[in-house]
Amino acid sequence: MGSKELATLVHVSYIQSLGKATDDLAYHLTAHLRLNAIYWGLMALCVMKHKDALDRGEMIEFVMSCWDDEAGGFGAHPDHDAHIVPTLSAIQILHILDAPDQVDVPRIVSYVISLQNSSGSFSGDQFGETDTRFTYCAVSILSLLGKLDTLDEQKTIGYLRKCRNFDGGFGNTEGAESHAAQVFVCVATLAILDRLDEVDQDMLGWWLAERQLPNGGLNGRPEKLEDVCYSFWVLSSLSILKRVHWIDANSLISFILSAQESMASDLEGGGIADRPGDTADVFHTVFGAAGLSLLGYPDLDDLDPVYCMPSRLIESLGLKKDWVALGRRTL
Amino acid sequence: MQRLLVESLDTHQEYVPYGERPEWQDLTPIQQDEGSLAPLAPIMYGDEYKDSTNYFRAIVQKGEYSERVLEITEHIIRQNPSHYSVWQYRYDTLLAIKADLIAELELMDEIATTFLKTYQVWHHRRLLITHLRAPRPELMFIANALQADKKNYHTWAYRQWILAEFNEDELWDGELPFVEQMLSDDLRNNSAWHHRFFVVWESGVRAGEEDRETLVKREIAFTKTKIARAPNNASAWNYLRGVLERTSSPFSVLEAFVTPYAQPPSPEDESEWVSDDEASSTKSPTAKSSDLAETADDAVLDLENPIPSARAELPCPQAIEFLADIREQSAQNNGTTARSDIDEAIKLYASLATKYDTMRERYWEFRQREASKLIPAIA
Ligand SMILES: [Zn+2]
Repeated sequence: MGSKELATLVHVSYIQSLGKATDDLAYHLTAHLRLNAIYWGLMALCVMKHKDALDRGEMIEFVMSCWDDEAGGFGAHPDHDAHIVPTLSAIQILHILDAPDQVDVPRIVSYVISLQNSSGSFSGDQFGETDTRFTYCAVSILSLLGKLDTLDEQKTIGYLRKCRNFDGGFGNTEGAESHAAQVFVCVATLAILDRLDEVDQDMLGWWLAERQLPNGGLNGRPEKLEDVCYSFWVLSSLSILKRVHWIDANSLISFILSAQESMASDLEGGGIADRPGDTADVFHTVFGAAGLSLLGYPDLDDLDPVYCMPSRLIESLGLKKDWVALGRRTL
Repeated sequence: MQRLLVESLDTHQEYVPYGERPEWQDLTPIQQDEGSLAPLAPIMYGDEYKDSTNYFRAIVQKGEYSERVLEITEHIIRQNPSHYSVWQYRYDTLLAIKADLIAELELMDEIATTFLKTYQVWHHRRLLITHLRAPRPELMFIANALQADKKNYHTWAYRQWILAEFNEDELWDGELPFVEQMLSDDLRNNSAWHHRFFVVWESGVRAGEEDRETLVKREIAFTKTKIARAPNNASAWNYLRGVLERTSSPFSVLEAFVTPYAQPPSPEDESEWVSDDEASSTKSPTAKSSDLAETADDAVLDLENPIPSARAELPCPQAIEFLADIREQSAQNNGTTARSDIDEAIKLYASLATKYDTMRERYWEFRQREASKLIPAIA
C-alpha cells in the first residue's frame, strides 16, 4: 500500500476549521454551496469515524434555517432560493444526525415532483436548468423519505435512457458526452429504482475501468486529467455494477493519499486536493475519503455507494441495494 | 467537476456603495442571515460584495422588478457568477419588464466568455434563445467559446441542445466541417468525437446520407486516418467500435487495419521508440504520394488501411482487444475453425492481462473466462 497513510486526525481538524473562516470573502462567495459543503464535511467525518467532530445541534439549526417556505424545499443558505441539490443535502444531513422528523415530508415531496418536466428530466429549481444530477437528487430524496411511490418511474427511466451514449456511459442531458459523474448519478438512480437492466453492465464497467491512468488516478472522460473526486464517481458506479475489482486498487489508493494536503509541505493544512500539489477543499476531501472506503482502506467506515451515506444507516432504513465494495483491509 | 474556486474581484474600479447612490435611497439593505453559523467576529468580507447582496435582498423582499434590478444583479453576477438565486431573479425581471433580450444576449456574450465554467451562464443563454428563437449566430458564438476551452462540458452540451432543439438543416450543415476542425486541432478531444457521433448517428438521416453503407465506410476511413496519426487514442477507438455496433457491422471488416497496431515492435525497432505516438503518419491516405513512395519501402501499400508510423508506441491495447473481439465473433460464426479462434482470443486477452494493460488485469481475466465459455457452445 506504500508508505503513506491517511492523516485522519489532520483532516478532521481541517473540516472543523472550515466553518470558522466566515470572515473570508471566499466563504461568502461559496454560500450557494454551503449546505452541500456541510454534507460533504459531515460525510467525510463519518467515513473517517469522527462523526461527532461537528456540533450536531448547530448543524440541525443551520439546515432548518435554509428552509424556503415559499417553495417547499431547502436553499443552500438561509436567504437562497430552494434548489433540489441542497434539498438532498439537507435530508442527508438530517438522516445522518438522526433527526429526519424535522422536515415537512409532504411539502418536499410535492416540491420534488413539481420539478419533473414532461420529458421525464428534472430541473434543479424554478430557473429550469435540467441535468441527470437532478434526477438522482429527486429519486434519492423520495427514496430516503419513503415516497418513491409518488414518482413517475416510466418517465424518469425513459429520460435516462435518452441520456445514454454509444460508449455505454451517460451525459448530463440528452445528447451530451459521457462523464463519470453523470454515469454515477444515472447508475445510482437506476439502482434505487431496481432497473440496472437498463445498462450494458460489462460495457459500462469497461468504460469506467478505462478511466484509470498509469499514475493510478481516475479521470472523468477519455483523454482528461486525473482528479481525486472521480475516485468516488467511478468507484461507486463500479461498486453498484459489482466490478470495482476491475481497477487497480493499490495504485489508486496511493494516488489519493498523495493528494493529501498534509503530505505536501505543511502538516497543519489537512484535507485532500484534486491532485497532488494542489490546495485541498472539502469536496475533494469527502470524495477522496469515500473512494478509500470503497477500496477497503483500513479503519474507515463503510459507505453506501448508491446514496453516498453511511452504509449502516442505509441498511437500517431498509434501502440497501446489492452492491459490492472491496473488503476492509487491516493495517 | 464542481470546483470551489473563486474568481478574483478586480473587475470594478468605479464602484460606489449603493447607500451613496441617490436612486437607491428608498431601500434599506438587509444583512445576510448567517443562521446558527453566525461568525463571532465582525464580518470582514469584501464590502462591495456584502453591499450589493444586502441591497439585492432588499429588492427581493420588496418583490421589485425594474431596470435597476438588472444593474444590481449584473454587479453581483460579475462578482459571483454561481449565485443561482441572482440569475433567477434577473431572468424573472427581464420577462416582467419586457426588457430587450437581444441587448441581454449581447451582454451575455461578454459575461459567458469571462465565466465559461459557470453553468448558470449557459442556462441563462438557453432561456434567452428559447424566447428569441434565433439559434444560428449561436453556433459561431459557441465555436469561439470552445477555442478558449476546447473540452468545456457545458459549452458542448449547449451546442448539442441548439442543434436538437431547433433542428434546422442549415444548422446541421456546418457541423461535420466544424467537428473536423476541432479534431484537427486536437485529435484526442473526446468531446469532439462524441459530437461527431451525435451529428452523424444520433440526429436522423440527412439529405445525401441516405446510403448508410457509404456512411459507415466514410466514418471508418476517417477514423482510421486519425488512429494512424495517434494510435493510442481511446476516443478514436471508442468511436470506431461505436460505429460498428450502431450499424451492426461485423468487426472483421477491420481485421487488416487493426493487425499491425496489435503487433509488438520487432526487437531491432525497439531502440527507436519515442514516448508518444503522435508522429505524423506519412502512410495515411491523405498523405502525398511522394511521401508514401519514400516510406512504404517494400511493404504492400494499402490506402484503405493506413499503418502506424515507425515511431508509434505499439502494440495498442485497444487494437489487441479489437482483434480478440474479431476472433470471438469469428468463432461464433464459423464452426470449423472456431476452437482456434477462441484460443487465439484468450491468448490476446492474456497478453493484455500480463503485459500490455496490467492495470486492468482483472478485467482481461474476465474477458478470458467469457471467451472460454464460448467453447461448449460451438463444440
Ligand atoms: Zn475534482
